[in-house]
Amino acid sequence: MIDAWKLTVEDGIGVLMMDHPNSEVNVLTSEHLEQLDKHLDVLKTRTDLRALLFASAKKKIFIAGADINEIAKISSPDEAFQAAENGKAIFQKIEELPYATICVINGVCLGGGFELALSCWYRVASFSDAVKIGLPEVNLGILPGFGGSIRLPRLLGLLKSLPLILAGSVLGAQAAFKQGLVDKLFYEQTLLADAIQYAKVLGGIHHAARKESFQDKLLEGTSWGRNFIFSQAKKDVLKKTKGFYPAPLEIIKLIQSTYRTKGAAPYKEESRAFSKLGATAVSKACIRVFFLSERYKKKGWTSEKPANVDVKKVGVIGAGVMGGGIAHLVSSKNIPVRVKDIDTKALGGALKEAYGLFKASVKRRKLKPHGMLSQMNLISTGLTYDGIKNADVVIEAVVENLEVKKKVFKELASVVGKNTILASNTSSLPVTQMAAGCDNPSRVVGLHFFNPVNRMPLVEVIRAEQTSNETLEKTIAFSRKLGKTVIVTEDKPGFLVNRLLLPYLNEAALLMEEGMEPEKIDLIATQFGMPMGPVELVDQVGIDVGYKVAHILQEAFGERMKVAAILETAHQKKLLGKKGGKGFYLYDAHKKEGQKFRNPEIPFTAKGGISDETALKRMMYIMVNEAARCLEEKVIDSAETVDVGMIFGTGFPPFRGGLMDYADAVGLASIVEDLKSFEKQFGSRFAPCRLLTELAVQNKKFRN
Amino acid sequence: MTQNIVIAGGLRTPFIKAWTLFDSLGAEQLGASCLRELLERTGLNPAAVDEVIVGCVGQPANAANVARVISLLAGIPKDKKAYTVHRNCASGFEAVTSAYEKILAGQDEVVIAGGAESMSNVPLFFSKEAQAIFMKLGRAKTLLQKLQVIAEFRPKHFSPVAGLMLGLSDPVCGLNMGQTAEVLAKKFAISRKAQDEFALASNNKTIAAREKLREEIMTMMLPPKFDQPVIDDNGAREGQTIDQLTKLKPAFEKLTGSVTAGNSSQITDGACMLIVTTEEKAKALGLEIMGRIVGYDYAGCEPSEMGMGPVFAIDRLMKRTGIDLKSVDLFEINEAFSAQVLACLEAVKSKTFAQQFLNRKEALGEIPMEKLNVNGGGIALGHPVGVSGARLILTALKELKRRKAKRAIVSLCIGGGQGGAVLLEAI
Repeated sequence: MIDAWKLTVEDGIGVLMMDHPNSEVNVLTSEHLEQLDKHLDVLKTRTDLRALLFASAKKKIFIAGADINEIAKISSPDEAFQAAENGKAIFQKIEELPYATICVINGVCLGGGFELALSCWYRVASFSDAVKIGLPEVNLGILPGFGGSIRLPRLLGLLKSLPLILAGSVLGAQAAFKQGLVDKLFYEQTLLADAIQYAKVLGGIHHAARKESFQDKLLEGTSWGRNFIFSQAKKDVLKKTKGFYPAPLEIIKLIQSTYRTKGAAPYKEESRAFSKLGATAVSKACIRVFFLSERYKKKGWTSEKPANVDVKKVGVIGAGVMGGGIAHLVSSKNIPVRVKDIDTKALGGALKEAYGLFKASVKRRKLKPHGMLSQMNLISTGLTYDGIKNADVVIEAVVENLEVKKKVFKELASVVGKNTILASNTSSLPVTQMAAGCDNPSRVVGLHFFNPVNRMPLVEVIRAEQTSNETLEKTIAFSRKLGKTVIVTEDKPGFLVNRLLLPYLNEAALLMEEGMEPEKIDLIATQFGMPMGPVELVDQVGIDVGYKVAHILQEAFGERMKVAAILETAHQKKLLGKKGGKGFYLYDAHKKEGQKFRNPEIPFTAKGGISDETALKRMMYIMVNEAARCLEEKVIDSAETVDVGMIFGTGFPPFRGGLMDYADAVGLASIVEDLKSFEKQFGSRFAPCRLLTELAVQNKKFRN
Repeated sequence: MTQNIVIAGGLRTPFIKAWTLFDSLGAEQLGASCLRELLERTGLNPAAVDEVIVGCVGQPANAANVARVISLLAGIPKDKKAYTVHRNCASGFEAVTSAYEKILAGQDEVVIAGGAESMSNVPLFFSKEAQAIFMKLGRAKTLLQKLQVIAEFRPKHFSPVAGLMLGLSDPVCGLNMGQTAEVLAKKFAISRKAQDEFALASNNKTIAAREKLREEIMTMMLPPKFDQPVIDDNGAREGQTIDQLTKLKPAFEKLTGSVTAGNSSQITDGACMLIVTTEEKAKALGLEIMGRIVGYDYAGCEPSEMGMGPVFAIDRLMKRTGIDLKSVDLFEINEAFSAQVLACLEAVKSKTFAQQFLNRKEALGEIPMEKLNVNGGGIALGHPVGVSGARLILTALKELKRRKAKRAIVSLCIGGGQGGAVLLEAI
């Protein structure tokens, strides 16, 4: 085995350089840790050293973290406990070295990598944008188990460290310096030399203990104050996670019991806390979703090589909510965008939407005012095709009406360049038909953004019959440039996400018709982990929008997707949902958040008799069944794509690993059985499809 | 001359009375919106632009070299050049004539030239004395020291000086612009009635031309609500009567004056951008050629009679280009003040003036009223100082096209005692 660590000593200063063999990144595998352990056993006996620096031979990466593959394999609490103990014993040795230790952070320094850094006396970093420092373990359903949960609070105090660990925040160099995670910043080009010089100047002076401010003393120095901080943190966590994720709560518990304690006990406590999380299904699901999202960032979708796109100008047709959101997204990536509509008022609306989003970013300090000024100026609007003609990509986001869209595409194709990509942001209409009337239809493609555009990470890229691979690859590359996760679907009504989501919403409507209270339905869904209940979601999306899509699907799939009568009624009463002030619920600006009031205009008689379990199964299994059909019809390529689509497109709970992962966990045979019984009780829409039945019979899963 | 220098596209924002609709938009924002829209409408590739030259008199303190800020905000690539020019009221002219020179010299091929001005945002200044105390306060370290410094403040220190008023005054002759107009009114015996009538005519012409002017105006959307698109200038007064004008008190000389707010140009925000290039390049880029710049000139004159500037500039322009006024179809003389334009018209047709000041035997000629400022002028449209020069060129070229006419002379008086004149020709 090649040693990943190389020690050089000069002038009493040692540099232990990590260089993960045959890899572009440094990852702390258990092998690397063992090797480090051996080095440390020798190093602690060296009396010729004045200081030891930990550094990386990789460009822009210090240590990306522990090996997530190894974490994924942890199968029992004992195993988890042992893994944590092993790692921290080694880092303990770093801490106990008899001379100054300095961690030289030249780039990504996350998780286990930063825990190593925390066991050094000092941390220095470069000014480079590549520097990313933090403890993001919580995002994988675990906690920092190599001493980070103990050392970071010691270094920064509770008020600063708790939010960082609980949110899994990753900081850039300047922010890390400001917060005290690193002690010194040097120029990127001379980082190591400067760090060595720094070591020499330091001599043997140990890192100074944290100075407590008056506020610190008041809050952290008293048990009353500490309890306040912890209870506040717990409240925030519960609000955010609704209790579905045990890791942040475990972190609070751990820090509460170890903060301001000394000796070996707190570290053991940390391993114990880690052991409670390391083998949980939630953590496994989070890790799976992490791997999925990493893979889908790069996934190839055609036989062609990924395209390199240089989009200098984007056109958006239609200045509705989606048009405005897309314009904001594009300009926030510093690409000029021209929005066209037939109505000046609508154009104003799009500008207002973008302006509001930018303003919110500035308020949240995600964007500086000057950034807002220049990005806002990248959006211009007009009533003609001026400024659209020279776009490299045009995204159509007009009203969901096939005839209107066909007309727009025909016009577009005649004014733009021959190779300009023409993308439709349709949520469910056939892109193939839009392409049909166009000059060079091979550059037409579907590009379905989700609302709100800036927050929903998914786009569906739809391959129309005419769409060329080149167009598809360019659209994928462009979407990724916009920061989106891409799934490619065939041009079938509803594509993937809406085709699954609409039956779910419709089923909720049917449950309502049958007499189940909407609040109850919403509660069942949110308790399952959905970010929002289905009835609430219909109101949020807009009843008009939902109704339209539901009808497109009914037309395409017939009886199976017959629109619930209650939705028809709501539509006839011209209820719009939240944007109109009333839908299935009433919305009032003055009302307290979380409170719901049913709209009396919706005819509803409460009747008992439907169990929560049946309701949940009906809503979930109808999606599972439809997803299986999508696989059967090859609308998408794999069960994983369904999971990516549902998690990033609808907020399907990541801790369940995605819809297909959830179905596998329940067991397909049991799902088929339930579906068959639902079919008898509630109608043919529940009839399990061929693929699902086959998999169940063969005792197989969606995922291998 | 080897090649024709042409204007191949132009656009302006609505001209909006200061401290009204555009109050929150700085010159950089007005200029950027205008330039961006010009690029969108003409389809000119931003990468084809070599340089952006912008006239601006009240240069924003937060956007030094405002031309560069405009260029970047409008999406012109970072490797392109930009600079700001200041020839007071003719800054918009100066941008265009600088572009002309740069292109002739072979330095640039495609230039965006124009002006941007937010008179709403010319800052207020503290007196030097107050500034000194503020500086001291900044340097004070302890609370006690700070309190001691604060105690030095007196109420007078908090009455700021309007930068706009400073800008509209001539430090050399000591007169503000309105006072220079009063000088001309007296010298050329321009009656109050004549001034008011001229003002009313300007107002009415502007109102009548609203539809036509929309051809050169872009729609502006205003943050944060963007719900009231601004599509027209708002300076002209609907239903204005001569009585209303007559009732106004003189603004600059209370007892003996005749120049009022009603017969002077308005204080205005706006921007205007033009594409200046060679005829050949314009064709290659597929741009629509609006007309060519035949020639131009500037001239100096007595600062206290700065309003006469156009006469001296037109004189030089005639000598330089050989043009005679009869063959000119349209005239645009910026309406800083009614009195000033009327004085110019008198001087142009005056033989004595020509002999005395222009070293000519005969008068320059005549500028007939029906050819002058046919769509109104600064009195009704407003006079955003750094922009007007570019605006006059744009308006004149649009009108030449509408009339299928050939030549136009556009001219401006310039605070500090100068004049500028440009001869334009339809191709």
